[in-house]
Amino acid sequence: MSETAAKGLRLTIREALLISVAATILGFAYTALTQKGIFSAPSPTPVLLTSDEGLSPEMIQIEEAQELFGSGTAVFIDTRDELEYRAGHIKGAINIPLVEFDTRLDSLRALPGDEVLITYCDGTECSSCIEFANRLYSAGISNVKIFFGGWEEWKASQLPMETSTP
Amino acid sequence: MEGQSASHGNVHAMKKLLRNTCFILALRIVLGLAFVVASLEKIVDPDAFGISISNYKILPAFIIPVPATILPWMELLCGLSIFFGVLVRGSSLLITTMLLVFLFAVLSAMARGLDITCGCFTQDPDAATIGWIKIAENISLLCASLCLFCSGEGSLSLDHYLRKRTGEDPALPM
Repeated sequence: MSETAAKGLRLTIREALLISVAATILGFAYTALTQKGIFSAPSPTPVLLTSDEGLSPEMIQIEEAQELFGSGTAVFIDTRDELEYRAGHIKGAINIPLVEFDTRLDSLRALPGDEVLITYCDGTECSSCIEFANRLYSAGISNVKIFFGGWEEWKASQLPMETSTP
Repeated sequence: MEGQSASHGNVHAMKKLLRNTCFILALRIVLGLAFVVASLEKIVDPDAFGISISNYKILPAFIIPVPATILPWMELLCGLSIFFGVLVRGSSLLITTMLLVFLFAVLSAMARGLDITCGCFTQDPDAATIGWIKIAENISLLCASLCLFCSGEGSLSLDHYLRKRTGEDPALPM
């Protein structure tokens, strides 16, 4: 490489570094000033609705989820989207993404009354299972529990799972 | 021999094109505007951009706020630099790197069957999902960026004007 070309390359890298540093400073300064993005107040944990009787869907730990799974009296509802569900889910779980709640509500009402409905999604990063359980509660279905550890915890514990083909 | 001379001809034509002031200016306007426009919505709503990044399921959640904070500003600064013709080679180097990363992200999301929006120009979750059109768009921008990396800012640029005024040699070949 000629000396001129090497000089040109060094200058190019210097320019790129200069822009990167400026972008980093501006990005953090702007988000700090506007309290957005990385500096925004943490979003509140989704709250459970409280019914008129003062009850709300119960959050359960993996031990109880496993116990209910073993008892065969629970229906697991996977509230993630169809692709994620197909890639892997709790064995026997049905897939009802939150957006399909209204259209699938009747099929859930048709389930035997002694069945416990357990909603779950990805894990603690998602909240669609809580929203789903809240809506079930509001629709008058009270035998609902939330497995908040979700798919990630179930998979990590290597409990029964399956995949589905379209 | 014929093949060699045809290839020489192509190289010569390419070099000529990269010295064409109007061509370089057109590339700078298109690429600069594309990046400035792409950055604005992300700057205004870094949270929505963070969601777009997380949809690709490539980065762990705790890292996502960092690119969501820095990338939009990098796009804006690079876009403005390219548009006005300042620090063009450095900007085009960064734009090329960003486009390669975006290309990888889109291709890997397509390969994994993710039905997601790009999050490139708009954070609207109802926008069209990623596909081959997005790949073609990224490759076109990548070609433009590589051309500018090779050609530099051209004579119709702020950098050229400033160098001329300060008496510096405006042409610094690679």
